[in-house]
Amino acid sequence: MALAQSGSRQLAALRLLRRRLVQAVPLMLGVVVINFCLIQMAPGSFLELMTAENQVSDPATVALLRKTYGLDDPVWLQLLKYIWALLHFDFGFSYRQNMPVIDAISVHLPATLLLMLSSIALALAVGVAAGVVASLKVRTFWDSLVSVAAMFFFAAPSFWLGIMLIVLFSVKLGWLPVGGMATIGGVGGGVAGVLDILHHLILPTLALGLFYAAIYARVMRSSMLEVAQLDFVRTARAKGLSRAKVTLSHVLRNALLPVVTILGVQMGTVLAGSVVIESVFSWPGIGSLLFDSVSSRNYPVVLGILVLGSLVVIAANIAVDLVYMWLDPRIEIR
Amino acid sequence: MRGKVSRRAFGAGVMATGLLGKAARAQEPKRGGTLVATWGGGEPQACYVPAGGGSSPTFSSSKLLERLGRRRMDGVFEGELAESWKAAADFKSYALKIRKGVKFHDGKELTTDDVVYSIDEIWKKYAAASAMTEFAGVEAPDGDTVVMKFGKPVPEFFFSSLMCGSVNYIVPKHVYAGSDPVTNPANNAPVGTGPWKFKEWVRGSHFEYVRNDSYWRKDFPYLDRLIIRYVRDPAGRAAAMEAGDIHIGVFNPVAPPDIKRLTATGKFVATPKGYEEAVWSTSFEVNMRNPIFAKREVRQAMFHAIDRNFIAKTVYYGYARPGTSPIFSPNTAFFTKDTYKTEFSPAKAASLLDAAGYPKKGNEPRFTLNLLAAGWFTENGKIGAYVKQALEDVGVGINLTVPDRPTSIKRIYTDYDFDLAISNQANPSEPVPSTTQYYTSDGIKKGVPFRNASGFHTDEVDQLVEKIKVETDPAKRKALVVEFQKITTLEAPNLPLVELESITLANTRVQNHSNDPNFLSSSWHDLWLAS
Repeated sequence: MALAQSGSRQLAALRLLRRRLVQAVPLMLGVVVINFCLIQMAPGSFLELMTAENQVSDPATVALLRKTYGLDDPVWLQLLKYIWALLHFDFGFSYRQNMPVIDAISVHLPATLLLMLSSIALALAVGVAAGVVASLKVRTFWDSLVSVAAMFFFAAPSFWLGIMLIVLFSVKLGWLPVGGMATIGGVGGGVAGVLDILHHLILPTLALGLFYAAIYARVMRSSMLEVAQLDFVRTARAKGLSRAKVTLSHVLRNALLPVVTILGVQMGTVLAGSVVIESVFSWPGIGSLLFDSVSSRNYPVVLGILVLGSLVVIAANIAVDLVYMWLDPRIEIR
Repeated sequence: MRGKVSRRAFGAGVMATGLLGKAARAQEPKRGGTLVATWGGGEPQACYVPAGGGSSPTFSSSKLLERLGRRRMDGVFEGELAESWKAAADFKSYALKIRKGVKFHDGKELTTDDVVYSIDEIWKKYAAASAMTEFAGVEAPDGDTVVMKFGKPVPEFFFSSLMCGSVNYIVPKHVYAGSDPVTNPANNAPVGTGPWKFKEWVRGSHFEYVRNDSYWRKDFPYLDRLIIRYVRDPAGRAAAMEAGDIHIGVFNPVAPPDIKRLTATGKFVATPKGYEEAVWSTSFEVNMRNPIFAKREVRQAMFHAIDRNFIAKTVYYGYARPGTSPIFSPNTAFFTKDTYKTEFSPAKAASLLDAAGYPKKGNEPRFTLNLLAAGWFTENGKIGAYVKQALEDVGVGINLTVPDRPTSIKRIYTDYDFDLAISNQANPSEPVPSTTQYYTSDGIKKGVPFRNASGFHTDEVDQLVEKIKVETDPAKRKALVVEFQKITTLEAPNLPLVELESITLANTRVQNHSNDPNFLSSSWHDLWLAS
C-alpha cells in the first residue's frame, strides 16, 4: 500500500514537472520578446556608444559596424535571429567585454547564485525559527522581540543595512571584510579558499537575507497560530502526542506552506535585491555586469542576463511546487 | 561622484600632504608591499582601450603601458620610452631617440618597429586621430631613431604634448600586428613596458599587477604588487579605506563629508594635486541651430543669468571655481584672465534679451528652450535644476531633462536634440585640438562626443586656430591662444560654468603620490608604503 502511494506520488511529481516545463516554453518566449522590444524602444544604442567611445565618425565605418552587428535588419528579423540563436544556446557576442555573452555572464553568475542561495537559506532558517518561537511564546517578551526585529529588518533598506553592517563589523570591529568575494592575492585553494569565501559571504548574506527573514518570521508566526487551531491538531493532542511532536510533525509542516509559496514568488526579487547588495559589497556578481551593460546599452548582455535570470526563477518555482507536494501530499497541483 | 569637503579639513589634508612629503624625503623609500588603489568610477570595459575609452581604462592601462614622454609637475617635458626628441629646422619633422634596453613584459626588446607601428596603427587611427590631421608619416632611419613627419610646421609644445598624451602608448607590434587593435585579446591582459606586469583581472572586483623586475628604470618600482579595486559605491570605498583595505583613491573616490571625516582622523590626506593636466569642467553649450541664438546677445544673456559661484559653493560644496575661459585657469602656459566676463547679472541678462528683440510680456516667457543636463554626473542634474530657475527668473521658459549617459551622448552629439546642454569637458594644457575643436567647423562631427555640438563656427575662429596649429614661436602662439579665448568668451557658444577640483585621498602610509600633473594615468613606479 505504502509502495503504491509512493509510486503514485512520484508519478504525480513527474506529471507536474512535465506540465511546468511545457508552460515554461511560452513563458520564456514572452520574456524574450517583451525584453527585446523594451530594449529596442530605449533611446541610444550600443553602436552609438561604441562609435562614440572609439571616436568613429566615418559614415562608411558606422555602416559597416551596423551590418556586422546585424542592426541593418528589421527589428522583427533581429528578434527571430535572436530566438533562433537562443535555441542553440547562443546568447550573442558582447562587444564591450570582447567575448561571447554566455562567457561574460558565466564569470559573474556563480557569485550571484551563491549570494542568492545563502541569503534564502539564512532567511528560511532565521525566519522560520523566529516565527515558530513567536507563535509558541505568543504575547510574551520573545513574541514582541521577534515582532520588533521583523519590523526593523523589513523596514530597513538593504543597502543601508549593508553599509551599517560594514561600519560595525568591518570598520569598527575589524572582524569581517568590507567587500569582495575573496582575499585578493588568495589564501590558497581547498578548505582555506572555501572558508575565505564564506568569510566574505557573511555580511552580504545578512544584508540581503534578513529582509526576507523578517517576512518569513511574520508569515510563519501567523500561519503557526492558524494551523494550531485546526481540528487535526486538536485530534493529535487528544491522541496524547507530546507538544513537541504535535508542533514539529503536524503544525510546523502545514504552517510552512505559505512560506514556501512566498519563497517561490520572491525568487525574482531576491535576484533583483542581490544586484543592490552586490554594489554595496563589491560582490562580483551579475549585478555589476547588468548595471554596466544597461549603462552602455550592451543589449546582448542585458538580454542574456534577463533570460538566464528568468530561467533561474522558473526553475526555482518548479522546485517550490515539488516541495509543496512533498509537504502536503493532499495537494494536487494542476 | 563629487562631494563635499570643508576648506579647513581640505587645507589640513593638503598641509598634511606637504608635511608628509617632507617626512617622506627624510625617509629612505621602503621596498616591497602591496598597494591597493581605487578610483571614483567603475570598472573599465577593457584593461586597455586603443581609442582611450575614458578615465577608467586609462587608469588601469597606464601602469602597464608607457608613452614616449611625460610632463612633469614643473611643466617640463621629459622622455620616457624616447630619451629625447628634436624638431627639424622647419618644424615639419621631429626625430626621436628611442631608449635602449627596454623590454616588454614578455621579454622581447622594444624596437623602433614597435614605435613606428604604434604611431601609424594606434595613434593615427584611434588614440590621437584628431590631433594628427597633419601627420604625414613615420619612419625609422636607424635602430635608435624614429622620425615623424608632418604636412605643416608643428609647434614644439604641441608635439611634446602628443608624445605625452594620456593614451598615446607604445604597444608591442608582435602582439598587435595583423589583428584588429580594438578587439585584440591583449587589451584585457596588456603586454607593455611599464613598471607593472599584468597578473589577473577578476571581473567585477579587481586587477592584480606584479612588479616588473626588468623595468628600465633601475630599482623601480618600490612596491611588489599593485591592486586596483573597483567599488561602485562611494560609501563602500570610504569604509574600505577606513578599514585599511584600500590605501589610495584617485579622482574623488569618496563623498566630501567622508573626506572631511577621514582626514580628521590623521590617517588620511586629501589633495587636489595631480590633476593639472586633466582639469575637468562643467560646460554650458548653446545650440546655434536654434535661430534664437543667432544673436550673440542672447547667448551672452544665458551666461549672465547664471551664478557660477552659487554652483561652485552649493552643488560642488566649494570644490570648484567659476570658469572664465575655455582654457582652464591651472593652464599656466596659455590661460588669460583678460577675456569677456559673463559675470552674474540677471539685470544685464534681461537687458540683453530686451535689446535682442525678446522683451518680456507679462507672465509669459520671452521664449522657451529645452535644457538637457547630461546625466553621467549627478551634479549635472542639480545644476540643471538651478539653471532652469535662474533662466526662468529672467523670463526664459525652460524644459529640463536629465537623460542617462547613452541618451545624453546621442541627444547632444548625434541628434543635436537640445537648445542648451550641461555637459563636461576634460582638457590638457595643449589647446589643439582638445579645446579648439569645440569652436571650429572641423570639430562638428555628428556622432562623435565631446566635440563641437553647438554648431558654432566662424571663419575668424577657424583661421585663428589654423594659425595656432602652425605657429612655432611660443610667445606668438600664446598671443594667438589669448586671442582665441577673447573671441570665444565674447561669442559664448560654449563656456565652462565651473572648473572642478578633483581630489586624491590617500592613507598617510602612501608616499610619492600626486606627484604627476596627470597622476591617475601615470605609471606609479615611484610609489611606496611607509611602515
